[in-house]
Amino acid sequence: MDIDKNMKIMVVDDFATMRKVIKNLLKQAGYKNITEAEDGVEALKALKSEKVDFIISDWNMPNMNGLEFLKGVRADSEFSGLPFLMVTAEGLKENVVEAVKAGVSNYIVKPFTSEVLNKKIEKIVEKM
Amino acid sequence: MEEYDSLISLIDSMASDFLFIDNNKIDVPAAGKFFNKLDALIKEADNREISQMKSVAAGLNSLLEKIALDDIDDEEAGFNAFEKGIVLMQEIGDSLKNTGVYEGDIDTFAESIAVLTGEQRSEVGEQRSEVGEQRSEVGEQRSETSNEIQDESLLRDFIVEGLEYIDEIEVNILNLEQEPENLDYVNAIFRPFHSIKGVAGFLNLEVIRDFAHVLENLLDRVRNNQLSVRSSLIDIILDGADALKAMIVKLKDDMEGKPTEPLEIDLAALKKRIESVEQDDLDTVEVKKLGEILVEDSSITEDALEQGLDAAQQSIPPKKVGEALISEGKVTPKQVSQALRKQKEQAADTAVIRVNIKKLDDLIDTVGELVIIHSMIRQNSFIRSNSDRKLNRDVSRLSSITSELQKTSTRLRMVPIKQTFQRMSRLVRDLSRDAGKQVGVVMEGEDTEIDRNMVEEIYNPLVHMVRNAVDHGIDSSEVRIKLGKPEKGLVRLNAFHRGGNIVIEISDDGKGLDKEKLLKKAVEKKLVDSSDSLLDQDIYKLIFLPGFSTAAKVTDISGRGVGMDVVKQAVEKLRGKIEIDSVVDKGSTFALNFPLTMAIIDGMIVKVGSERYIIPTTAIRQLLRPVEGSYNNIVGRGETINAMGKLLPLVRLYKIFDVEPDHKNPCEAIVVVLEGENRSKCLLVDEILGEEEVVIKSLGESLKSAKGVSGGAILGDGNVGLILDPEGLFELSESLG
Repeated sequence: MDIDKNMKIMVVDDFATMRKVIKNLLKQAGYKNITEAEDGVEALKALKSEKVDFIISDWNMPNMNGLEFLKGVRADSEFSGLPFLMVTAEGLKENVVEAVKAGVSNYIVKPFTSEVLNKKIEKIVEKM
Repeated sequence: MEEYDSLISLIDSMASDFLFIDNNKIDVPAAGKFFNKLDALIKEADNREISQMKSVAAGLNSLLEKIALDDIDDEEAGFNAFEKGIVLMQEIGDSLKNTGVYEGDIDTFAESIAVLTGEQRSEVGEQRSEVGEQRSEVGEQRSETSNEIQDESLLRDFIVEGLEYIDEIEVNILNLEQEPENLDYVNAIFRPFHSIKGVAGFLNLEVIRDFAHVLENLLDRVRNNQLSVRSSLIDIILDGADALKAMIVKLKDDMEGKPTEPLEIDLAALKKRIESVEQDDLDTVEVKKLGEILVEDSSITEDALEQGLDAAQQSIPPKKVGEALISEGKVTPKQVSQALRKQKEQAADTAVIRVNIKKLDDLIDTVGELVIIHSMIRQNSFIRSNSDRKLNRDVSRLSSITSELQKTSTRLRMVPIKQTFQRMSRLVRDLSRDAGKQVGVVMEGEDTEIDRNMVEEIYNPLVHMVRNAVDHGIDSSEVRIKLGKPEKGLVRLNAFHRGGNIVIEISDDGKGLDKEKLLKKAVEKKLVDSSDSLLDQDIYKLIFLPGFSTAAKVTDISGRGVGMDVVKQAVEKLRGKIEIDSVVDKGSTFALNFPLTMAIIDGMIVKVGSERYIIPTTAIRQLLRPVEGSYNNIVGRGETINAMGKLLPLVRLYKIFDVEPDHKNPCEAIVVVLEGENRSKCLLVDEILGEEEVVIKSLGESLKSAKGVSGGAILGDGNVGLILDPEGLFELSESLG
C-alpha cells in the first residue's frame, strides 16, 4: 500500500535535539511535512488550530508527559482515531501497558532506525 | 439472574471485538480495547466475589500484556489461548446466570496461560507488579542503531543542549538537597539524564549513553521511593553530572579540532560508587547475619561458624553460609531455615517507610492539642474534686498514655544530626582547600537526634560558624608550627542532649578570641563604655553585635555580608542560645543550645488585668519588684528602672495591648527584665502566675504579622494566652514613644 508521504506529522519532545533526530529519520523515510511541539500542553494547543495527521510523542516530558498528552488527545472525540506513536525507552514495560490502555496506536523503543520508524508508521496507517 | 448481565455483556463485547481481528494478530489498538474491558471485568468480578471469573480475566490480562509487549514466543498459541479464555468466560457467565454456580474446570486454562507467560499459576492476578521488574527489552529493534544520522549539526545541537541540561541538573540537585522530599526536583533531575541518554543512543555515543543510563536508573529508584535522598546520593549525582559534562565537553573540543587529552574519568569507579550508594541504602535496614542468628540460637558455636564461613568462601563456586554449614554437618537444614525465617522477620521489623513530612507535622500538632485538652480536663474542678475511683484511675491512665503518645510522636520527627555534620565536614574540606590551610574534622555524637524541622534552620548558622573557624580561627600551618601546634588544624563537631535541650558544639584549635582586642574594638565603635566591667562571656558576646568583625581582612569565604549577628538571630529564632568558650592560642568553642522541639516552649505566665501572656523563659533575665527610687522618669529619656546595675527603659505592657491593669504604679507591680536582640528592657506586668510548658499555636493569617506576638497558646487552666516576642515588643514600645 502506498502511504501518503505528505501527511502532516507532529513530533513532540522537550529535547530539541531529539526532535531533530526524529525529524531527520522521518525525512530519510521520505516524509516531508513535519511540525514540532515542545510538550503535551503546547501540542494540544497546536492541534486545535492545525490539522495534523499523525503524532509521534516522547513519553518523558515536563509539564505534561506523553501518557497525559495521549489521554488529552483521546479525550477529544475529534481525535479519538488520530494515529499516535509513542516513543519510549527500553525497559519501561509498565509504561507501554499504560499507553496501550489509553489508546496508543503503537509504540517504538529508542534508539531506532528510519526503517523501523517507517514500518511502524505504515503499520498504523494501514490499519485505518 | 440479572446480576450477571453486566458481566456477560462485557464478555460478549470482548468476543465480538475478537471476531474483527485480522491476521490472527492482536495489534496495539485492539490490545488497548481488551485491556480496558478486562479491567472492568476484573473489577466487577472482584466486587461480586466471583473468583473463577476473576482469575480467568486476570490470566487473560497477563497474557495480553505479553502480547502487547511483543514478549511472547509463540504468537499463534497466545492468540488461540486468548480466544479460549473469552469462550471460557462466556461459559462461566452463562452457567452462573442459569444455575448460580460454575462447576467446570478453569485449571487447564490457567496452566496454559502460565506456560505462555512463563509465570507461576498461583501468581496469576498479581503479576502486574512483576512486569516492570523484568526489565527485558521491549520490541525487537533496539540493537540496530544506524550510523546514518550521525551528522555534525545534530552532534553540535546535542552538545549545546546537553550542557544546558547538565546545568539544569546542578541547580535542581541543590534544590533537592534543601528539600529531599520534593519529588518534583527528583523528576527534574531524572528527565535531563533520560533525554541525554536517549539522544546519545541515536548518535552512537555509547559511553555517554550507558553512563547517563546508570544515573537515570539511580534517579528512577529515588523516584520510586526505593532510595532515599542523602548526602552520598547527592554527591554521586553531582560527580556523575560532572563526568557527563566532561565527556560532552571533550566531544565539543574534538569536534572543534582542539587538541584534547584523553579523559581521565574513572567511570568504573563512579559506577561502583553508585552501586555502593544503592547498597548503603539497603544496609540501613540492619539485619543480623544468618551466622549471628545461628549462634544466638545456640545452634552452632562461634568457632564452628568461623570454620563454616571460611569453608563457604573457599568452596568453588562460593557457597552461601547456610549451605556450607549444612554440607559440613554443623547444622541441620531445619535450623538454617528457622534462622532464615527469623532473619526475614527482623528485616520486616526494622523496615523503614517514607512518610510525607506534612502528615507528620499534622500528627504532632494534633497530639499537641490532645495534650492541652488533656491537661484542661485534668484541671477541671469537677474532675479534681470527684471521688469516683474508677474515673480517677482512668484519668491517670489517660495521662500516662497521652504523655507517652507525645513522646513517641515527637520522636517520629527526629533525625540523626549525622547528615548535617557530614555536610559541615565537606564544607571544612572545601574551605580549607580554598584557604590553603590544612584542617581536619572530628565528629562526635553524630547519632544525636534533632527535630527534622530544625535541621534546615540550623544549617546556615552552622555553616557560618564553621566558615569562621576555618577562615579566622585556624592559622596557617607555618604559624601553627611556630606555636608548637600540630601542623594540621582541627575542627570538632559535637552534639549531645542535655536536659530537654540539644547542644551542638563547634570547636577549633585555632587562635582563640582575643578579649583585649574585642574590647578595644567595641569601645572604638562605641558599642560599650570603656568603664563598663564586663565578664568574659559578655566580652565574647560582643562579636554578635551587628557590624562587629574582628578579622583584619575579609576573605571571599567569610566576607559574605553575614556576620555573627545573623547567626545569633537565627539561633534565637529557634529559641536557642549560644555560649562561647575560648582560650587565646588554644582555640574556641561555640556551643549552641536549642530546645529539642520547636513545638513546645518553656514560658513564664504573666497577668495584666484580665489578660494572660506568656514570655519565653529564655528571654527573661530577671524578675523584680521595683523599690521606691529605682523608678525614674527623665524628660527626653522616658521612664526607666534601675535594674541589673543599669537604667533600663520601662515598657508598660498594658499600654501596648490597651488593657486595663490592676496596677499602674511600678512599685506595686512586677518588672520582668527582658533581653532582646542586643538590648534589655523592663516589662511592667501585674503578676507572675507561674511557669509552664506550652504548646505553640500559630496565629491565623490576619495576626501572623502582628508585632510583639509570636504565637498563642492554651494554658493548663484553659485560658488562652499570647506568646510575647521581646524584640517586637521593644520596637512597638519605641513607636508608641
